[in-house]
Amino acid sequence: MIWSKDETLSRDQFTKIQEKRLSETVHSAYHNVPHYKSKLQEAGLEPSDIRTLDDLAKLPFTVKDDLRANYPFGLFAVPQKDVVRYHASSGTTGKPTVVGYTKNDITTWTELIARMVTMAGVTAHDIAQVSFGYGLFTGAFGLHQGLEHVGAAVIPMSSGNTEKQIMIMKDFGTTALIGTPSYGLHMAEVAREMGIDPKKDLKVRLGLFGGEGSTEAMRRELNDAWGLFATENYGMSELIGPGVSGECQCLNGMHIFEDHFIPEIINPDTGKVLGPGESGELIITPITKEALPLLRYRTKDITSLHYEKCECGRTTVRMAKIHGRTDDMLILGGVNVFPSQIEEVLFNIEGIGPHYQIKVYKKGYLDRIEIDVELIDEDFLDSFTLLENLNQTIRGKLRTVLGIDAKVNLHEPRTLARSEGKAKRVIDLREGK
Amino acid sequence: MLIKQLSVFIENKKGTLANLTGALVKNNLDIRAIAVFDTNEFGIVRLVVDNPDKALEVLKKEGFIAKLSRVIAIEPEDAPGSLNKIFNILSEHDINIDYIYSFVMRLHELPYIAFKVDKLEKAVEILTANGINVVNSEEIRGK
Repeated sequence: MIWSKDETLSRDQFTKIQEKRLSETVHSAYHNVPHYKSKLQEAGLEPSDIRTLDDLAKLPFTVKDDLRANYPFGLFAVPQKDVVRYHASSGTTGKPTVVGYTKNDITTWTELIARMVTMAGVTAHDIAQVSFGYGLFTGAFGLHQGLEHVGAAVIPMSSGNTEKQIMIMKDFGTTALIGTPSYGLHMAEVAREMGIDPKKDLKVRLGLFGGEGSTEAMRRELNDAWGLFATENYGMSELIGPGVSGECQCLNGMHIFEDHFIPEIINPDTGKVLGPGESGELIITPITKEALPLLRYRTKDITSLHYEKCECGRTTVRMAKIHGRTDDMLILGGVNVFPSQIEEVLFNIEGIGPHYQIKVYKKGYLDRIEIDVELIDEDFLDSFTLLENLNQTIRGKLRTVLGIDAKVNLHEPRTLARSEGKAKRVIDLREGK
Repeated sequence: MLIKQLSVFIENKKGTLANLTGALVKNNLDIRAIAVFDTNEFGIVRLVVDNPDKALEVLKKEGFIAKLSRVIAIEPEDAPGSLNKIFNILSEHDINIDYIYSFVMRLHELPYIAFKVDKLEKAVEILTANGINVVNSEEIRGK
């Protein structure tokens, strides 16, 4: 089912809507946000210079530091009385980045999530358990509003308290699970420990995962563990929260809601705009946000855009699974490696579990990498040689696929840290990191 | 005539063995033999207990990766050269020993020895034919 006719417009119709709304957004930013006024003036631009999508590339980028520098409300384009909600990013270092919503922004957000969950297969018959943390983080409230909008029964469970989550899931007959993929895997593990087989004893048929990147291998693990159909969705608080894009059940990438966001792909080093299919940093310009208009926001996420029509009938552009982030790329002795690539290798090795941690440090002048994994298959206990071979297999695959020589540590099951939100996979102990 | 042995994965760090044996003690399981060889970061503990099936269940429930497999237990004569004789017999019949360990000794009892070899059934046959006392699981449970 397709929620809105605005997901099936022709390319011309999209362009027309985008150009009109882009112009409105630029005017609002210029006249209401001093930061943008001076940015545009520095670039020698008047709002009236931005009329077509081709003009977009003239605009300066916005980065996360611009939000921090204008903490808390400096980039808002509306007076405080028009703001009805605040959210903020997790902000692991320093001040969080604050975002605000007007009444219309909340309506837009709710509509976008309704489209997104419908695309993933949710209907009014579903019982949806929201296992994102409720609070300043946008994940839980975003999904909550949209799920209610399509008529699903929402359980505002929040994250953590996993055993209770499983109990409620069983007793209420939850059919759709909403959370981060890493927490989804952890919940399945806890359920089995409680003697509950998520596949047989629970009714969860859909998994809507987001809030962190994931790989195809992780999707397979989630599908197998729960017996559900997993889709991924994408967003970030600066842009609106979840609801920027999501996968339909054809799994051809994530459909971007183009009547509300204009995507571009750039070379992150030069800023040059790249063509369809080319891989680079995703830039998003939200074009309907009243409280916090952002021009050409640098997401730091690496992906590509695909305009071919999807079998689902939607005509919106699709973004590929995030390959990595411009800021989580590890440079190990000159080799560029994304943690997602390491994950892909690990997930395809029999005998080890889905949880892992990557440690990077310096030994002398050399970069060293250690990867902690958990042994889950007792068949490796027949001889020590088998265990050693497993270790060598993992090392060997990492070497052939990624060209890195990692030390692999096998751990007992359930000894690596589990996350209830976004998983922290990489610990970089090198200086200046 | 084979007996059941438990193999358990452990990391080489403080407290792992105590956790393992603690789980067995809590469930009134008695360890008859234990072996763990010098390892770097991780290793395999081999155990013979009085009730191996229950022990496996207990350990899995505690989150250990554990497996039951079969080994030979023999009771060598208490005489010089008896072990040497056994090794010679196995070697002559082209049987390779992966590892051996001895049982926990008690007063007035001869030490049993556990063997993991590549051809288990053949080894039992040959040892028995050569007059070596191959111990069965009832004997271990009874002691």
